[in-house]
Amino acid sequence: MTPTPTAPDGLGTLAGKAFAAYRAGERERLSELVDLVTPVLWNAARSQGGAPATCEDAIQTAFLQLVDRADSINEPAAVLGWLVVVVKREVWRLARGARREFGVEEVPEAPAQQLDPEAQSILSERQRVLWKHVSTLSPRCQELLRVIAFADRPDYAAIAESLGMPVGSIGPTRGRCLQKLRTTLGTDPGWAV
Amino acid sequence: MTSHTDAIDARDIANLHHVRDLFGHADPVPSDLAERIKFAITVHALHAEVAELMDSALLTTRGADAKVEPTPTDSVTFTAASVSLMVSSGPADSDGTDDDDDRVRVDGWVTTPGAQIEAVTTEGSSMVISDANGRFVLDDLPHGPVHFVVTDPGNEDMRPVITPTIQI
Repeated sequence: MTPTPTAPDGLGTLAGKAFAAYRAGERERLSELVDLVTPVLWNAARSQGGAPATCEDAIQTAFLQLVDRADSINEPAAVLGWLVVVVKREVWRLARGARREFGVEEVPEAPAQQLDPEAQSILSERQRVLWKHVSTLSPRCQELLRVIAFADRPDYAAIAESLGMPVGSIGPTRGRCLQKLRTTLGTDPGWAV
Repeated sequence: MTSHTDAIDARDIANLHHVRDLFGHADPVPSDLAERIKFAITVHALHAEVAELMDSALLTTRGADAKVEPTPTDSVTFTAASVSLMVSSGPADSDGTDDDDDRVRVDGWVTTPGAQIEAVTTEGSSMVISDANGRFVLDDLPHGPVHFVVTDPGNEDMRPVITPTIQI
């Protein structure tokens, strides 16, 4: 995989700068990296259907691997994509447990997003409408939109690639997933307020 | 009509913001996750031993019929194989200014005289060396999360000891 360097000012760029500074000896910049990317990683992990504890372990493991391999990572600017790849793989590895039916590198596709009933009960009316429409998208689109929603526009293409989506699935063009969401929301009189 | 080959526009960005609010609300990032990750990284990077929180008591000197609320003092003990550490916190020494409430003084005792104690707070880290009796004072710390890293400059065989994070 060749991660696509992100345009200036996106989350990915800020993360890349913090990581490069960390590698150059500013050890305290690692905290900044953790704060920046944890929301994206949490959603990347949770969108695989892993339990909360599994997702926390996966994210922690990804950061420890990053620290261990910091000097051998070729493109520090692409650190966000690197972390997304490792987190996604770790969630599947942990969820699979001792069963070794797949190769370690083989990562299945994410399931349709689920919200437990308790979470659904705290949604606002408008969020309920949105959730109904998001649920109608393909699982792949749900995963993609959920994760990029926590990043910035310049990062969309690189994150999509890290999630295993085809090049061009999003950014700089809208792509089919965002187009579908736009269309389905546009046809709902309950959404257009 | 819009097409999937159009550039992303303001409406798409707004839709993504709604998606972000939806998942951020229904499945929020655990509030202490980032702090726990940072702690794990520190332990890992230092090859440190993690001290166990042994005792945390809210010590107050109030009698049953006291009229005035005393200043509560959090006294906490940490223990690891090579070292024990006790800390208590209170308001920073008054120096006549009005902003003393913002700062915290930590009095501590460690089983190793001459040990280096580093307090890592949101502002960075402060270092102090314990005296011949193992006592040390860290004045002028900010309120909030803190953890301590104990090393012994006189003993290179000792692994650094790191404490869990406490609030002061």
